[in-house]
Amino acid sequence: MTTEAPSQAAAISVEHVSRWYGNVVAVNDVSFSVGPGVTGLLGPNGAGKTTLLHMIAGLLAPSAGEVRVEGRPAWRDSEMYRHVGLVPERETVYPFLTGREFAIANARQQGLADPGAAAERAIALVELGDAADRRVGTYSKGMRQRIKMAAALVHEPPVLILDEPFNGMDPRQRLHMFELLRRMAEQGRTVLLSSHILEEVERMAESVLVIYAGRLAAAGDFRSIRRLMTDRPHVFHVRSTDDRRLASELLRLDCVFGVELDAKGLTVRTADLGQLTRHLPRIAKDTGISLRELRPTDDSLESVFAYLVGR
Amino acid sequence: MIHRMPVVAITLRSLLDRRRFWLMLLLAAVPVAITLLGRVLGDVTFSQIVFDRLVIQTVLPLIALVFGTGALGAELEDGTIVYLLAKPGRRFRIVLAKAAVAAGLTIALVLPATLLTGLIVATDAPDIVVPTVAYALAAVAGGTAYALGFLTLSSITSRALSIGLGYVLLWEGVLAGLLPGTQTFSIRQATLGLADALQGVDGETLDAGTSVTVLVVVILGSLALGSWRMSRYQLRGGD
Repeated sequence: MTTEAPSQAAAISVEHVSRWYGNVVAVNDVSFSVGPGVTGLLGPNGAGKTTLLHMIAGLLAPSAGEVRVEGRPAWRDSEMYRHVGLVPERETVYPFLTGREFAIANARQQGLADPGAAAERAIALVELGDAADRRVGTYSKGMRQRIKMAAALVHEPPVLILDEPFNGMDPRQRLHMFELLRRMAEQGRTVLLSSHILEEVERMAESVLVIYAGRLAAAGDFRSIRRLMTDRPHVFHVRSTDDRRLASELLRLDCVFGVELDAKGLTVRTADLGQLTRHLPRIAKDTGISLRELRPTDDSLESVFAYLVGR
Repeated sequence: MIHRMPVVAITLRSLLDRRRFWLMLLLAAVPVAITLLGRVLGDVTFSQIVFDRLVIQTVLPLIALVFGTGALGAELEDGTIVYLLAKPGRRFRIVLAKAAVAAGLTIALVLPATLLTGLIVATDAPDIVVPTVAYALAAVAGGTAYALGFLTLSSITSRALSIGLGYVLLWEGVLAGLLPGTQTFSIRQATLGLADALQGVDGETLDAGTSVTVLVVVILGSLALGSWRMSRYQLRGGD
């Protein structure tokens, strides 16, 4: 993935794309290209992720610039959908259809030779076989996400676009989805997913596009972006059964460069989030202190992205 | 049906799955019930008025309005339209499938209601047969025009139901009486005109040629405009 001149070979190429609604600019001169593997589109709510994904999925015309998917223009070229599977953010799926009927309807619209078999394959892939004959209206949020996923996979597209796919999923379902998407990537497919949750993208994506206020704030492999993010100072609020003792223990750590004690507990400043979260349970165990609260005070994505944009 | 015509099947299921279908069935039963009541009371002379006022002027446009706006508008509203749009193939086919369902359901309710209404009084008033057939055929053409017009309206505005209701009640109901010139732009007048022409009577409505022209223009124009709208439809919402 690159932010430079998008290559012709890329599965998805976005060239100087902007989208505005009246005076409001939702996406502002964004360029990148995405190849096989999992790419995360990361940004806080309202950053322009869905607008960007809708343009890539051919459901919204760019005000300027061009989006191409598998070499075809995304806007007003419905043949593109033979190569693209889309999992939209909105939860609503026809509540009166069963999961199987929904998958078959999607397979049929793709013009597949054997829609029934394609639907079965996709349903098995998302492990929804037991519930396939139930109406979608009776599904949980997580199950709805999975049937949407099955519908997007019926024609085994080389490009998969997912808008906030983990919304409403419990941890076990998330794990399953992670594995499924990883498998897709291993098969050489291009998976582009959006999320406003850093950890989701971290677990999934090798490459990341960070979008903030309609602009591409950062792009590249996840490690380098993560480094940028983790290198910035993090501030935590900690409460325990013995705040004073915990403070002195924490100050011995290299990764902690500041601890303040007040009536509400401890404010801990660290340069290395990973190290702190590894050491804290050990300290608690060794000293017999019980942790009551551990809460990031500045870890909203907005602050992370503001940091990235401003650096 | 999902196997063969998914858009038709989905639209049909969405319109049949809700309480409104039963309400529409009830509405279609009103002219039949009134005629039945008249027959029981020994009065069979008002069938023409039932056809004219109740079937063509009230039941037909209301049923077409509900099915026409519901066939596409509901999916545009809740975003499920994306499952139809993000597929290969021309979007004209989506509009055509939905138009067929909206018009088909309207006809499926109004046609039997019209025929039953005539049948109830046919034994005592044999001369009702020709008007019955004429109104039934006109209802098929008028129902198609209404349903397609309202379907296309729902592709343009999310307020299709209230605008459609305004059209039926105000434009066709009030204005056509006050300003006869507006009758040319009235599906109701064209439907009544067609019914008159089929009976071979010269009513106060539009003449046969104008009636057929209006209905054909509405049907074809709606299909063309609806398809054009959907081919350029952009998904809003999200961030």
